Amino acid sequence: MTPILGLLMLLGVALGAVATGLPVWGILIGVANLGAALAMLTGAIEPGIFFALPNRVVGLLESDLLQALPLFAAMGALLNRLPLADTLFRAGLGVSGGRPTGAPAAALMLGAVLGPMNGSVSANAIALTRSVEPALTRRHVRPADRIALIAVASTLGVLVPPSLVLILLGDAMMTAHTIALNSTGRIARIVNTQDVFRGAMLPAALFLGACLVIATVRGLRTRGTSTLRERLSPRDWITAGATLCFIATLLAGVASGAFYAVEAAAMGAVGLCLAGWLGGGLDGPRLRGALDDTIAMTGALLALLIAATTFTLVFRILGSDKLIASWMSAAPGGPLGIVLLGLGLIALAAFVLDAFEIIFVLIPIIMPPMLMRADDAVWVAVLTLLVLQTSFLLPPLGYALMMTRSAASAAAPLGAIAKSLAPFLIAQMLIVAAVIAWPALTHPGRSSQAIAAQPTASEADIQQRFQQMMPPPLEMPDLGPPKL
Amino acid sequence: MAQFVAVIDRFIQASVDAARWLALPLVAILFLQWPLRDLVKAGSREANDLGQCLFALYVAVAVTAATRAGRHLAADTLAHHFAPGTRACLGRVLGLVALAPWAVFLLVTGFSALLSTLAQLEAFPDTSNPGYFLVKACASLLALLVLLQAIADILRRDAPACGAQEPCKAQEP
Repeated sequence: MTPILGLLMLLGVALGAVATGLPVWGILIGVANLGAALAMLTGAIEPGIFFALPNRVVGLLESDLLQALPLFAAMGALLNRLPLADTLFRAGLGVSGGRPTGAPAAALMLGAVLGPMNGSVSANAIALTRSVEPALTRRHVRPADRIALIAVASTLGVLVPPSLVLILLGDAMMTAHTIALNSTGRIARIVNTQDVFRGAMLPAALFLGACLVIATVRGLRTRGTSTLRERLSPRDWITAGATLCFIATLLAGVASGAFYAVEAAAMGAVGLCLAGWLGGGLDGPRLRGALDDTIAMTGALLALLIAATTFTLVFRILGSDKLIASWMSAAPGGPLGIVLLGLGLIALAAFVLDAFEIIFVLIPIIMPPMLMRADDAVWVAVLTLLVLQTSFLLPPLGYALMMTRSAASAAAPLGAIAKSLAPFLIAQMLIVAAVIAWPALTHPGRSSQAIAAQPTASEADIQQRFQQMMPPPLEMPDLGPPKL
Repeated sequence: MAQFVAVIDRFIQASVDAARWLALPLVAILFLQWPLRDLVKAGSREANDLGQCLFALYVAVAVTAATRAGRHLAADTLAHHFAPGTRACLGRVLGLVALAPWAVFLLVTGFSALLSTLAQLEAFPDTSNPGYFLVKACASLLALLVLLQAIADILRRDAPACGAQEPCKAQEP
C-alpha cells in the first residue's frame, strides 16, 4: 500500500501544480506533508524516520557545487542589465558583412557564446530577444521564424559547459551512479560533472552545426532583403573580442580540469562585473536591481531543491522508488530498453515539469535503476541533456518557447512557430538517435569498451542489493526526538 | 493584527535587503579560490569554508526573498483564469497546510542539533576552520523566515498572499 501512496504523491504534485498555479516548491512540500501524515496515521511508518530532514537541508547548504547557483543567477541578472549581448551580436553581424544569412547565424552563435556564461534558459531567452529580435525584424524575418530561432539559440547553453542545467544534472548523476555501482557491485569510476561536460561537447557541436546549416538555408531564401551593415566602434570590436577570448578561456579551463565549474562561474560573474564597471554600464540602481534578481532567482532554485529533497525523502521512506525500479527492470530490450524507457518518462514529464523539477525530482528516482543496467553513465547523462533540451523547445509548453513568445515584441500563431521549429527539432532528434546508436560520440577519443565496466552481478543480485542499498534514509537516527 | 504583520514584514524585508549584498563577497571569494589554490598555494580551503558560510546565510534568506518577489516557479496553465481572491485564498491554504507545518517541523526536529552546534561553536570537520555552526544554524534560519513569511501571508487581510503568484513569466531559474 505505501509504495502506491508515493506514486499517488507524484500524481498529486503534477495535478496540484497545474490546477492551482501555486509555487511548485510549496506543492511538493504540501504533498510530502500529506503523504507522511497518511503513512504515520496508518502506522506504516515510524515518525522518527522523518527526523533525517534537517540534516538533509544542512547537506544542501554545505554543498560546494550548489554554490554555483547564485553565481549563475548573478551572471544572468548582469547580462540582462549590460549591453554586452547586444555588442556581441552586432559584432557577429559585422563579421557576416550584412548578408541575409548573417543575422540568424549570429543569433545562434550568440546563444552558444552566452549560454555557458548565463546558465539560465529564461535569462538567455530574454537577453537574446532583446538583442537579436530588432535586427531580425529589420531584416524582415517573419515573427514565427524569429521566435523559433531565438528559442533554439536560448537552449544551446543547456549542452555547452558549464551551464547550470549541466552542472545540476552532473551532480544528480553522480549520486545516482554511486547508488547504481553499490547496488550492482560493478567497479567503475563514479561519473562527475566534468565527465558530463566533456561528454556533451561533441553532441553540442553537432547540434550547433546543424542549426547553423538550417538557419543559413533559411536565410538564403530571403535573398531579396537588402544588405544591412552594422557600424561598430573600435571599442565595440575590442569588447566583443575580449569577451570571446574570456569565454574560450573559461571553457578550456573547465574542459581541461584547470578549474572547477563553480570557479569558472565565479570568473564569469567577476568578468561581467568588471566589464560593467569599466564600461560605466553598472551604476548603483542597476547593481541593486541585479542583486535583487540574483537573490530571488537563487531562492527560487534552492526552494525547489529543498522541496524536492523533502519530497524524495518521503517517497523513498514509502518504498515507492523500489517499486518504480522493479517496474523499470521489467522493461524489454536489456540496457537500451531501460534507458529508452527512462528517457521516455523524462520526455513525458517535460510536458508538465521544467528541466530543474525533472532534475531534482525525477532523476533521483528513475536514474539509479537506469544506471544499474546501462554501464555508460556519461552516455546516459548526455542523452538526458539532449532530451531535456528538446523538451525546452517542444510546443506548446516548451519552456524556452514560452519564454521567447512572452518576451517577443510581435506575436505569432503557435502553429507557425511549430512549423518553423520543426527542422531544428528533427535535427535534435537525429542527434539523439545518433548518440543512442553510437555512444562513442560522448567519449571523443576513447572506445566505449574502454569506458564501461562490465556488470559483475546477476539480475537477482542487482534487485536484492538495490533493496538493501536504498532503505528509508536513516542517516539521522542520532538526532533523536525533539526535546520540548 | 495588522501591526504584527507589519513588524514581521519589516523584519523579513530588512533581512532580504541586507542579504542581497552577500552575493558580492560570495562571488569574490569563490573567484579567489582558483588563484589561491594554484598560484598562491595557500588559503584556498579557508576561502572555501568562508564561501560555504556566506552561501548558507545567503540561501537561508534567498528562499523567502523569492517568495516576496513572486519568483518561485509556478505553472500558470489554468490559474491565470482564477480571480485574485481565489489565488490569494489558495496561497493562504498553501501557507497553512504546507509551508508553516514544514517549517515548524524543521525548527523542532533540528532544535537539539542547533543548540549542540552553537554550544560547541562547531568547526568544519575537514579543515578544523571555525564557522561550521553557522552553516547548520542557517537551516533553522531558513525555516524561521519561511514560517514568518507564511504567518504574515496567512494573517494579511489587505492584499493577496505572496504565495498566490502572478503568472510565471520570467520565473525559470
